[in-house]
Amino acid sequence: MAGRKGNILAVDDTHANLRLLAGIFAEREYRVRPVPDGAMAVSAAQAEPPDLILLDIMMPGMDGYEVCERLKADERTCDIPVIFISAKNDLFDKVKGFSLGGVDYITKPFQAEEVLARVETHLSLRSLQTRLEEKNKALTDALEQLKATQNQLVLQEKMAALGHLVAGIAHEINTPLGAIQASINNITNALNASVRELPRLIQHLSFERQADFFALSEAALKSKETLSSREARKKRRSLRKVLEDHEIDDAESASNILVNMGVHQDVSAFIPLLKEKESPFILQTAYNLFVQQNNSQNIKTAVERVSKVVFALKSYARHDDSGQMIQAVVTEGIDVVLTLYYNQLKRGIEIIKNYSAVPHIPCHPDELNQVWTNIIHNAIYAMDGKGQLEISVRASEGADSDPEAGWIIIRMTDSGKGVPDDVRAKMFEPFFTTKPAGEGSGLGLDIVRKIIDRHQGRIDVESEPGKTTFSVFLPIRQ
Amino acid sequence: MPEKAILCVDDEQIILTSLRDQLQRHFGSRYSYEFAESADEAFEVIQEFYEDGVEILIIVSDWLMPDMKGDEFLIRVHQQFPGIVKVMLTGQANEEAIERTRKHANLHRCLHKPWSEDELIEALISGLEM
Ligand SMILES: Nc1ncnc2c1ncn2[C@@H]1O[C@H](COP(=O)(O)OP(=O)(O)OP(=O)(O)O)[C@@H](O)[C@H]1O
Repeated sequence: MAGRKGNILAVDDTHANLRLLAGIFAEREYRVRPVPDGAMAVSAAQAEPPDLILLDIMMPGMDGYEVCERLKADERTCDIPVIFISAKNDLFDKVKGFSLGGVDYITKPFQAEEVLARVETHLSLRSLQTRLEEKNKALTDALEQLKATQNQLVLQEKMAALGHLVAGIAHEINTPLGAIQASINNITNALNASVRELPRLIQHLSFERQADFFALSEAALKSKETLSSREARKKRRSLRKVLEDHEIDDAESASNILVNMGVHQDVSAFIPLLKEKESPFILQTAYNLFVQQNNSQNIKTAVERVSKVVFALKSYARHDDSGQMIQAVVTEGIDVVLTLYYNQLKRGIEIIKNYSAVPHIPCHPDELNQVWTNIIHNAIYAMDGKGQLEISVRASEGADSDPEAGWIIIRMTDSGKGVPDDVRAKMFEPFFTTKPAGEGSGLGLDIVRKIIDRHQGRIDVESEPGKTTFSVFLPIRQ
Repeated sequence: MPEKAILCVDDEQIILTSLRDQLQRHFGSRYSYEFAESADEAFEVIQEFYEDGVEILIIVSDWLMPDMKGDEFLIRVHQQFPGIVKVMLTGQANEEAIERTRKHANLHRCLHKPWSEDELIEALISGLEM
């Protein structure tokens, strides 16, 4: 008969008992395998694990306790419920049976009904347990999958943020490269011209004018001032008047060159030089000397700009796979993000930095970069590209009694439109966004919060129109 | 005083000064050169030149700038001064913006940073001959 209701292994050295048990179960659609001794019981259970084992205790050779011990020690059979059946009826035996992993204990002589009831109970317990285990496994799998998806989303969000940046970064790198390329040409040409023309110039000038020429060149090389194009226009106009008052020919060209060279404060010493017949040539020659220095300075500035961007990119992209926190200073991460956003910020956003010295803290710097990126990105968006972003960083030392229980507090305040109350209640929820469809994932602040949680910190928002502050608290010692 | 001018617009000083020396060397005192760090400032300069009777021949403009971008700036200039030759000098090409400028501002050339001196001068000379 097929064991529709279950598959039972009955172990007893008394044939009469075995037959009795087999009869009880066979009638009720169980499949029963009768086994007359302990050793056979172990191998039968291992060969084909039953759903339940009825096990006599007192048997010659291997007794029931030992059978049970062996079954529990084997991975294939350890989960099969064992019910002891024995004529021994003292507490000690029962306790021993349970302690070896038996689920129940039936005393002989037994009633068929009792045996059936107990077996049914344990079979259904067992099947519930199996189902529970399966559910558990399914849940664990689902959780794993969720975690993987979440990591994926975190990475996607990071890549999206990077995507916003890349467009700006092309500009950020090509602009200095353009300046470098042009400046190198300018230097080469000016150097060639200087080598060619200086000797001729010297020959033509009196000793006094030679001294003036070198004084002018020196003044140009020393001038550190860089004027905005607007200021330069003003200076050129006023200098032109001064030169015209001194009746200098082509005062316009002369004032242009002098202002370009940064010589416009006091030109009275150079009036005689400017009155020379060859003054355009003299000025051009002085200018060529200046070009070499000025364009070198340009290159230096440009190289610094590129290195900064490359450094920032590198720090941004660095991912610590070890999952270990490392010691870092949060302000460095903030500056990396500000460098990357320089292009978007300089168009109308004033950055006010208030950094106090803060200690290193154990953290995941790449994750914190994502926090700063999201908050700054949201701020730029809320200000529509124009306004003020104030970033303050300080350490709070906490109570005197426990000086190490301090926090690093990072506050980013934007002058944007503010967060309405209904948005504020939901802004940290995943997929909540007020951006038009397709523009925002709404994951930014959800990820921010998760990252801060991982650092055992917290984040608060205070907002009124024109003043929204995100405060991030990170523990100094973790 | 030269009655003809070339105007360069870029929000980066290092670009403006290196352009200044390139222009100065190639065209000397034939033209006056003016520089602006934003579209707004460029409009001021255009207005001043207009009042002083100085003719702007060419505008060389960056694309990615604060406030107003190069395409919008050149298109606005074109509406008032269709005769000015327009050249874009950009570190980051936005194809749509370039196309828009071609269409609506009769863009003469679009140069990419880093540019070569030869291509810049060629763009200017061919523009001046128009
Ligand atoms: N500084 C801020 N000022 C005003 N509102 C803000 C500010 N920061 C966030 N918000 C609001 O919170 C919402 C959720 O922000 P979150 O960063 O989670 O997603 P998002 O910015 O909309 O999308 P994504 O992260 O994909 O860019 C935003 O849509 C916005 O309405």
